[in-house]
Amino acid sequence: MLTASSRRATRCLGQTLRGVTTAATIFPNEPSVPTVNTFPGPKSKQELASLARVYDTTTAYFLTDYYQSVGNYIADVDGNKFLDVYSQIASIPLGYSNPKLAELARSPQMVNAIVNRPALGVFPSTDYYEILSQGLLSAAPPGMDQIWTTLSGSDANECAFKAAFMHQAARKRGDASFTAEELSSVMLNQTPGAPVSTILSFSKGFHGRLFGSLSTTRSKEIHKLDIPAFDWPVAPFPQLRYPLEEFISENRAEEQRCILELTQIFETYPKDIAAVIVEPIQAEGGDNHASAWFFQQVRTLTKKYNVLMIVDEVQTGLGTGKFWAHEHWNLDMPPDMVTFSKKVQAAGFFYSGKIGRTKEGYRQFNTWCGDPSKALLAKGIIEQIKDYDLLARAAVTGRNLYDSLAEISVRFPQVSNLRGKNRATFLAFDLPSGKERDAFLVKCRHAGVNAGGSGARAVRLRPGLWFEGKHAEVMLAVFEGVLKDMYK
Amino acid sequence: MTVSEQYFPQEPTAPKVVTSTIPGPESQRKIKELGQVFDERHAYFVADYTKSTGNYIVDVDGNVLLDVYAQIASIPLGYNNPALREVAKSDRMIRAIIDRPAQGNFPGADLAEIAGDVLKAAPKGQKFLWSGLCGADANELAFKAAFMYYQSQKRGYNAEFSKDEQTSVMANEAPGAPELAILSFENAFHGRLFASASVTRSKPIHKLDLPAFKWPKAQFPAYQYPLGDHEDANKKEDARCLAIVEDIFQNWHAPIAGVIIEPIQSEGGDNHASASFFQGLRDITLKYKSLLIIDEVQTGVGATGAFWGHEKFNLSPAADIVTFSKKFQSAGYFYNNPQITPNQPYRQFNTWCGDPARMILAGAIAKEIVKNDLVRKTSDVGDYLYAELAKLAAKYPKDMQNLRGEKCATFIAWTLESGAKRNQFLADMKMAGVNIGGCAEASVRLRPTLTFEEKHADILVKAIDAVLSKK
Repeated sequence: MLTASSRRATRCLGQTLRGVTTAATIFPNEPSVPTVNTFPGPKSKQELASLARVYDTTTAYFLTDYYQSVGNYIADVDGNKFLDVYSQIASIPLGYSNPKLAELARSPQMVNAIVNRPALGVFPSTDYYEILSQGLLSAAPPGMDQIWTTLSGSDANECAFKAAFMHQAARKRGDASFTAEELSSVMLNQTPGAPVSTILSFSKGFHGRLFGSLSTTRSKEIHKLDIPAFDWPVAPFPQLRYPLEEFISENRAEEQRCILELTQIFETYPKDIAAVIVEPIQAEGGDNHASAWFFQQVRTLTKKYNVLMIVDEVQTGLGTGKFWAHEHWNLDMPPDMVTFSKKVQAAGFFYSGKIGRTKEGYRQFNTWCGDPSKALLAKGIIEQIKDYDLLARAAVTGRNLYDSLAEISVRFPQVSNLRGKNRATFLAFDLPSGKERDAFLVKCRHAGVNAGGSGARAVRLRPGLWFEGKHAEVMLAVFEGVLKDMYK
Repeated sequence: MTVSEQYFPQEPTAPKVVTSTIPGPESQRKIKELGQVFDERHAYFVADYTKSTGNYIVDVDGNVLLDVYAQIASIPLGYNNPALREVAKSDRMIRAIIDRPAQGNFPGADLAEIAGDVLKAAPKGQKFLWSGLCGADANELAFKAAFMYYQSQKRGYNAEFSKDEQTSVMANEAPGAPELAILSFENAFHGRLFASASVTRSKPIHKLDLPAFKWPKAQFPAYQYPLGDHEDANKKEDARCLAIVEDIFQNWHAPIAGVIIEPIQSEGGDNHASASFFQGLRDITLKYKSLLIIDEVQTGVGATGAFWGHEKFNLSPAADIVTFSKKFQSAGYFYNNPQITPNQPYRQFNTWCGDPARMILAGAIAKEIVKNDLVRKTSDVGDYLYAELAKLAAKYPKDMQNLRGEKCATFIAWTLESGAKRNQFLADMKMAGVNIGGCAEASVRLRPTLTFEEKHADILVKAIDAVLSKK
């Protein structure tokens, strides 16, 4: 049940979109409230057990009926309908059953992309330039006008690593060709052909789970155990106190400490560091923020030490009120590469100049070099975002939602470290322990809200871009009810 | 009516080359345009897939080429296959495209059926499926499975991780991040991400400047052709290579959790090995408790005379893991030991855990292959084609050395005198109306679709004859 003050706060959320196309226009059949009968339901349990005979289902929350999922509501096979603020681990950009994306999916261009999947590197399709230039590149980060396409976030990051290693080696090699020793040693995976070079990442960073990307992932043990890893350097990521505006000097000191350590690593680390990879907000690692100042220092330092800077926007892209979260930093010099996936549905990296292009051919290359069906979907997603000004609207929704959550955290001190102010709906807060966080998420699901956790004890909000004030009200009411149940 | 006639009533009856160069002027213009934003230097031409049909690819200049390369061996049933077009327009596909699930956390109600359709085509003896997105991804997921399996056998499948493991792993150090290896073979190709590139041993250009895991490399048999004339020598070659594998297992400084091998090394030059070599390898992996991973990314899905290339080896017991991608459009791996599923959740895990849109397509591809008996038909066409090519090889012995792939359906290759001559041959073939690919330094590989029939084979053979006779 809402208190008077939170009712006031949420009422103003509901009013922000009057007079424009709203989620109600796009999704006329979207439920107005969640429905939860039995959860987990019998059908979900039974059918998951049957799926488990051929497919690992140990991580499944419930069996989803995507045909009945609409807008911000996800349905399970038992007829339960949850308000979804997790969105397939932050990867559904514009709600379920989005009619405009469905229209695009039915278009002859999509059918062509699905059934005639090209090896883009050697036999590109006649429409790929248009798909890229009018789609992904129309939303490219400032200062970037080139793209390489891949298939997932891990893949995007690893291709960026490859670009970094090849670029740095080429810089040192100058105009010379590969030496005979490089050509023979590389076939034995030995130096100098396979050099001892590294990618630096930050503690609590998450950059994927293949072998190169996993070596830079520093989030949780379970992501990494038993997998051989490259011995690459790790720098501390600032651990800030929230709300940021109340701890300005403490936080600056913490960021200075981290920058000093990073400088030390650049000065003393015995191996080459080809690139630094960093998330604008460490998402899997617990929604850890750092200030624009911190990232500007990282940019300055990487330039000074001839290290490339890769910004991993896999989870933050399209989610913080701008296309790319690093746009909030106002960098003097753009990063060298920006990787993307998730809500973009396509994956890859942006760059400028020659960084993504080697002198010799067939180095950054593979069979498919991306997937035009996903690039086409990305184009449709970007068009819809622009048509309805969804980033600016998410920023407003998020600002109001932040205020409401701040108000809740006053009444429930167990809700702490609220973060994501001015980052649209990319919000998170902590509960006292991982156990309580997990209990909170389960209770929320029973009460009709599907939310996700991250880090040790955080709840992260990752709704889509058609999440509006009215959805925020529903979510807040459920959160409040669960918190009362847990703590009062 | 043949299958291709049923599928493609409008398929051209012959290639048509209308420009004096390929790429033609419009292709050149479009390559330049795309090249402003995307590294497009490898493009042969720009294709108009809406106009491509069956075994013929059409470019933006209007050239119509018989395609025996098929998007680097990845188009299974011809361009614009009507059965796949229907599937692409289905409600299930639309749903999969617009509401792409995180299949690990929120599997869709139809996943059991979608996975079931893929599993209907699983290699003999395989029961489980895990899905990825491309061949490199599939192989690396298989490596992860092998490493987790190896450690879990050592630790006990249900045993907890030690404190030491949990702290060391965050520093990328042993014992949490143990030093374990995957063994691969000389000239192998398994992908280009970091672990997959570490087991790839095809060409320096695939690997240069990338840090790699120090993993061992064995020798893949190098046979003398024709096989029938060199049985003894080739048998000795098998024994030599198996002895090297055994030696590595005994002497490598770190445990070898898995061995990865292609049934026919494709990028590396279409190198074949015998069933007894593969059984010998299976026996060694059993002896040393290492998993045998068969990489069917290029050989899988009907092109070698079996649905999966290694099925012809009748391995006993079955391989531990079989990876796939390319012609299946989806990617991932099959396995049969339930303990290859990790003992805890969130270990073999990622956001999407595959892509139902591509899995639906794989299921439909498998169904069409079975319905139209395309494995057997492709095998018959391959036999016909091989016999015709053998005649050409007799006529042009220098330009068609080591013809290989007899009784391997259309998975046929041969070698020219040099890389330069091979490249010239590929270019000349394009001007003669055939889009054809190379592999290794000086080889040509045929990778047509499963709708490639005798009439297409005749056009191909005629074009080869015409090109080689002019030299």
